[in-house]
Amino acid sequence: MPPLKTKKSLTPLDALLAVLFVGMGLYLLYRVNIGLNYKWSWSTIPQYLFRYDPQQERWLPNLLMQGFFTTIRLSFWGTILATLLGTMMGLFRLSHRLFRRLVGGAYVELSRNLPPLVLIFLFYFFISDQIMPVLSVEDFFQARSESTKTILSFLFAPAEQFPTFLSALVTLAVFEGAYITEIVRAGIQSIEKGQWEVSSALGFSRKAQLRHIILPQAVQRILPPLAGQFISTIKDSAIVSVISIQELTFQGIELMSATYLTFEVWITITLLYLSLTLSLSLAIGRLEMYMKHRGAG
Amino acid sequence: MKIKRISIIQTLWITLLIIGLADVAFTGETQQQLTAESMIEQALKRGSLKVGMSTFVPWAMKDKTGKLIGFEIDVATRLAKDMGVAVQFVPTKWAGIIPSLLTGKFDVIIGGMGILPSRNLKVNFSIPYDYTGMSMVAHKNLAAGFNSLNDFNRPDVILSIRLGSTAVPAAQKFMPKAQLRYFDDEAQTYQELLNGNAHAVVGSAPKPAEWALKYPDKLFLPLAETFTKEPIGFAVRKGDFDSINYLNNWITFVRAEGWLQERKHYWFETRDWENQIQ
Repeated sequence: MPPLKTKKSLTPLDALLAVLFVGMGLYLLYRVNIGLNYKWSWSTIPQYLFRYDPQQERWLPNLLMQGFFTTIRLSFWGTILATLLGTMMGLFRLSHRLFRRLVGGAYVELSRNLPPLVLIFLFYFFISDQIMPVLSVEDFFQARSESTKTILSFLFAPAEQFPTFLSALVTLAVFEGAYITEIVRAGIQSIEKGQWEVSSALGFSRKAQLRHIILPQAVQRILPPLAGQFISTIKDSAIVSVISIQELTFQGIELMSATYLTFEVWITITLLYLSLTLSLSLAIGRLEMYMKHRGAG
Repeated sequence: MKIKRISIIQTLWITLLIIGLADVAFTGETQQQLTAESMIEQALKRGSLKVGMSTFVPWAMKDKTGKLIGFEIDVATRLAKDMGVAVQFVPTKWAGIIPSLLTGKFDVIIGGMGILPSRNLKVNFSIPYDYTGMSMVAHKNLAAGFNSLNDFNRPDVILSIRLGSTAVPAAQKFMPKAQLRYFDDEAQTYQELLNGNAHAVVGSAPKPAEWALKYPDKLFLPLAETFTKEPIGFAVRKGDFDSINYLNNWITFVRAEGWLQERKHYWFETRDWENQIQ
């Protein structure tokens, strides 16, 4: 990497632009306040994040935070599932076997070329109805002991929402997995041919080649686009509110229906999503730096 | 090797026999099956009644502690109590509530659902346990001086309406010339009106009147009375008459008690519940 010359000082043009941006922001606020004739009522919002329960004598998460936690659960498991699925399918797409290549190709084309909303409804109304009863997910859940139930509720969703949660999770993973497949494939294909040839000459099997030579290098290259995909997963989790998963967006909409605090609720939701996605961005940035140093060291 | 063929006559005989046997077995079991498959039986077996609903003030809403309250919530809770089972609410988006019922996401819709002939083709309704009517709230500047349905029945008038609600056919019937703008949620329909992008909101009483009170400087009630009268019923899946029979008689029972009227009065004519919300 050639070192770039980075300027440390601001030019007058920068200052002018900054002033313009701030001015635009202020004008927008003014328009909202004047043009909308909206009665702001921020004081009612905090109680929907956390509320004090006098009976249990402690603070409990309320609607919005409950939704926020559901969003975190959904994104967390969705990301893990999508990464597994994407890695597997990415390797399938580069496989020597035609069948695997076909499976990988069909999967990517199908899930990438459908709007996520359509996919979600397909899964929810058709697939989950046929599959869930067969697996009798809910009965399985109900049959667990109390302590297991608590753990499962903490990790996934309460019993009554469990089947819906699963179908949303699968949809999200399938949808995001298609993009991760392509990222993985591109990452592996970007590794120079020489690496394959040399490792092959040294007597590595294909599995060992991938494990010790190719994937470690590929992972470093695919981290930035992968990070973008993880953030997308969090954002796309909002779409599952349409099948009444009680995540952040759904809870927000419910709250708006009850209190009509449209703007306050949307702004709160925005900030909550931002807190999640920005912290993830920072974490991934750190990871990239770490890997760079480790690779160089 | 000589292949033995089954003649056409034989095939026919066998087919008839199979159909006949199946028929006998079927008629014997049908009654039991129907009883066992009825929603009420299933709920009793499960020990809980799953109720599909959607947030709609004051029918159903979440209070400050995240608990569901409202007229429909009271009705569903009492119904489950009388059945001797727990009640489990499944908050669902209004636009998808019928498909969700049909695909078995819950047992019954108790959510202020208007009984419409078109809806009745897809689901079975109980007898009405409530009546509601359509009313309107209009923008003071845009709809200045409007005081009849005819005033709104013009191509330049924009009406803001919740998607999938009975306000849609009502508006189409009484104001066919007006443009309709659809939203997924009640809050959005009113925001559109407050932003001055629509002349009026069409919605079930008493909500429009409450908005006119809340924003007296911007909104007003163009009509003195509701312009429709709609029966409200419980919706269950088709082919389940045992459940309909139970629900109908339950409604008759609590109405005779006066309990239904008392709850209706509390949620729709008093404001005692307001402090539970905000």
